[in-house]
Amino acid sequence: MTSATAPVATHSVHNRLLFNRLGLWLFFVSEVFMFGGLLVMRFHLWGNTRPDLDQQLGLIVTSILLVSSFFMNRAEVAAKHDDRNNFLVSLALTGILGLLFLVGVIGFEWRGHVRPMDGYYGSVLYTMTGLHALHVLSGILFILVIWINGRKGRYSSQNYWGVEACAIYWHFVDVVWVFFYPALYLIGTLK
Amino acid sequence: MNSKEKKSTAYLRGLVTLIVLAALTAGEFWVSSVTNGSLVFLSIIALIKAAIILQYFMHISHLWSEETHS
Repeated sequence: MTSATAPVATHSVHNRLLFNRLGLWLFFVSEVFMFGGLLVMRFHLWGNTRPDLDQQLGLIVTSILLVSSFFMNRAEVAAKHDDRNNFLVSLALTGILGLLFLVGVIGFEWRGHVRPMDGYYGSVLYTMTGLHALHVLSGILFILVIWINGRKGRYSSQNYWGVEACAIYWHFVDVVWVFFYPALYLIGTLK
Repeated sequence: MNSKEKKSTAYLRGLVTLIVLAALTAGEFWVSSVTNGSLVFLSIIALIKAAIILQYFMHISHLWSEETHS
């Protein structure tokens, strides 16, 4: 039985993984339209100007998100090689850095002198950072679920799709910030 | 290459990717100050950073590959 069905089973597992990956990337396509729309809104309303935001804070939160992506990649590699301790530690560090990013944006940037009611500067800033922060928050919840499952030993080198999906989602959130950071903090002259 | 070497190589690749991304981030901060926020230069740097993340962290090239979890 095994000799006849094994190739079929392998093929089925491969197809499932392929469809899982395709489904996730199709979700990203829909997300790109939404975040792309926000970028278009920023350039339409702000043009070649930008508000006076805290440059150091922008650089710090960007660096935090980049380092979190590094640890997420480390967690994925560890899961792929059955390195459970490294997986759990790296994943936890990713979540903590994600929380620090949220503290930086919501706790500090949102308490700056640009307020939501400050015309289109405030509207654009809070819409873009708010929607991105919501994705970071959902990423942290995703990480928490994967971390709990990982502690229970649900992932192995043969089955770590949950970890892979979580990692790709987290990196996608990072990619969005790669475009949002210059758009909000760097491009254009001060208003 | 055995599993341990593969793991070490993958960890190292992640570290190199982080260093390159950090250098590009510092670069765009500097470019912003010397070019008065040039849209063209900063967009090019952002595109390069996104491409690096897509390739080395998100493994976009694996999307159509035959690779399975093994």
